[in-house]
Amino acid sequence: MKSNREESTMRHCMFEDFIDDYLFKRLDETQGDAFEEHYFNCPQCFEKMAERDELITVIKAKRSEIFRDVYAPEATSRSWLESVFAFFTPRQWAMAAVSAALILIVALGVIPNLKTKAPEFFINEDLVRGSSITLISPVIDNLKQIPSEFRWQSLGENIEYKLFIYDNGDLLWSTTTEDNFIILSEEVKKLMATGQKYSWQVKAFSAEGTLIAVSSRVQFNFASK
Amino acid sequence: MEKRKSDLNTEEIVDKYRPIVSFRVKKSIGAHTPDWEDVVNEIMVNVLEKLKKGEFRGESSIGTFIYTITSRRIIDYIRQKSKVLKHAPESNPYLSPQDQIEDKERAEWIAKAIEKLKPKYKEVLYLYYYQELSREEVAKRLNITSRRVSERVNYAQKLLRKVMKS
Repeated sequence: MKSNREESTMRHCMFEDFIDDYLFKRLDETQGDAFEEHYFNCPQCFEKMAERDELITVIKAKRSEIFRDVYAPEATSRSWLESVFAFFTPRQWAMAAVSAALILIVALGVIPNLKTKAPEFFINEDLVRGSSITLISPVIDNLKQIPSEFRWQSLGENIEYKLFIYDNGDLLWSTTTEDNFIILSEEVKKLMATGQKYSWQVKAFSAEGTLIAVSSRVQFNFASK
Repeated sequence: MEKRKSDLNTEEIVDKYRPIVSFRVKKSIGAHTPDWEDVVNEIMVNVLEKLKKGEFRGESSIGTFIYTITSRRIIDYIRQKSKVLKHAPESNPYLSPQDQIEDKERAEWIAKAIEKLKPKYKEVLYLYYYQELSREEVAKRLNITSRRVSERVNYAQKLLRKVMKS
């Protein structure tokens, strides 16, 4: 007597592999016709196909009873990560990844151009970029006496500073120094009057003579000489 | 080997081919179409008439001969239907009460058999037959090889075949 294995091997037909695809309508017209003609001639294939068809009909009709323990947990106890992954098909995920990469590339290309520009100053019709100079003294209004010393923050070595003193907006006096302070001479003091509004400003130049920094203009007045 | 012209027996032909013709007709025009049985009867009558007239000369197998007649009749039926009943409402499913009860009981029986399978076979059947995923997709979903999927599907079918035949 033949064993079951021998029997099933002998009965295996190459068209058997078409059964599921035929029932799920996955075969093209030529394959479908060929398979239909075949099962009119092959009782074994027809028998298996009829059984398979009945099985699929039952599975489709009674899914909720049959697969209670198989598909229910999948639907109810999915982790949030699985739910996120299940939200798109692998193909949709690939599309989303490509889109995200494109957006990133565009953003990285554009954002640097949107950076805030460096401080700009209009001085004597020239556009200058650079940092500001912090004035140290005098920075308060209503001084008791005429200031003897003007001091500002140092910007390092090989810097030339130009100090300007304005009388009501008009340049009264200016001087140049490599220090970050200046002692006002008696001659200059004589140019200034009690109760008058003055202002001062410092500009810094590099060794090549390029303007690199400008301070704000600070007002001051004094009660006595 | 398929029977040739010399050894054809009418009863045998009807017994053997009627289920096959019925299957093909139901698949083509829908099992819920009340006409399917009439179409099958017409085909079988046509087959027997042609055999009687000697139109089957044994150039092909009898199976191919009947397949050809079946396919032509189905095409005619679909053409005729689409002309006459293009806008007609869908027919109600027709089954005799006895058939309905038998079908229902058999379906319950098969469902119980599937339910008793081990989860590893059931999950494969669910993905492969219910969700209609390919073997490769099932393999990916369950993190096993396609070969293992085929083995599980085949083994589950083998177990269920015993139940369905008994």
